[in-house]
Amino acid sequence: MPTPNPGQPIVVQLLEAPFQPLELLAAWQGNLGPAAPAAESHFIGRVRPTTASGEPLEALELEHYPGMSEAQLRAIAEACAARHGVGAVLVAHRVGRIGPGEAIVLVAVQADRRGPAQRCVQELLEDLKHHAPFWKQEWSGGSGTWVTGNTPL
Amino acid sequence: MRRRPLVAPTPDLAAVVRVRLFAALRERAGWGERLIPLGASLTNAADLWRQLALDDSPAAGVGELPPSIRVAINQAFAAPDTPLRPGDEVAFLPPISGG
Repeated sequence: MPTPNPGQPIVVQLLEAPFQPLELLAAWQGNLGPAAPAAESHFIGRVRPTTASGEPLEALELEHYPGMSEAQLRAIAEACAARHGVGAVLVAHRVGRIGPGEAIVLVAVQADRRGPAQRCVQELLEDLKHHAPFWKQEWSGGSGTWVTGNTPL
Repeated sequence: MRRRPLVAPTPDLAAVVRVRLFAALRERAGWGERLIPLGASLTNAADLWRQLALDDSPAAGVGELPPSIRVAINQAFAAPDTPLRPGDEVAFLPPISGG
């Protein structure tokens, strides 16, 4: 098992404004210091331009439970990091109104090997989709519709 | 950030819980947050769900907390029959759709 970074092995951020995932990633890597581990895996999720029913999407509005959403993201990230024995984890998630094409989620994992890094990213993403309190509302044609489930893997 | 709700420490107001609703549930009920007094017939989240008439389903078992709705007590997931204590924050969470 790789040695966890002495700085901040688990970083969780809820963002109310648009963010550039690659800039956030670079800042996170910079904070972790120069000795990067051998493997690093990333996922960037962006807002689709259409609704679940295929209509043009104006925006996605993301409601959360302040306090609990952050705590759950952290608990999910810590559990996933422990299961896979990875070094550092970054989870950034937008809240509020998000336009089509904008980044909504960024997950990054550093590990000693590609397997744990990739598996941790995938598992963390699935866990947060089902167990972190976020609710999507799709805005189209001036009206909002709550999304009742997740898109297929 | 306040992890525990603000409840007046006077004896007559002490046995109150803060109920919170989110997303579609909040819109359907028309409110997002209320203080509700605990009582002999109101001791857990399942009781709250029934007494606040939060269900809109016309089907059998009407009024009961559906399995699709999750309960959080003081911002952590909890079983609907967990006994509530004065000052608790109880949230009803509709199906999650994050990421």
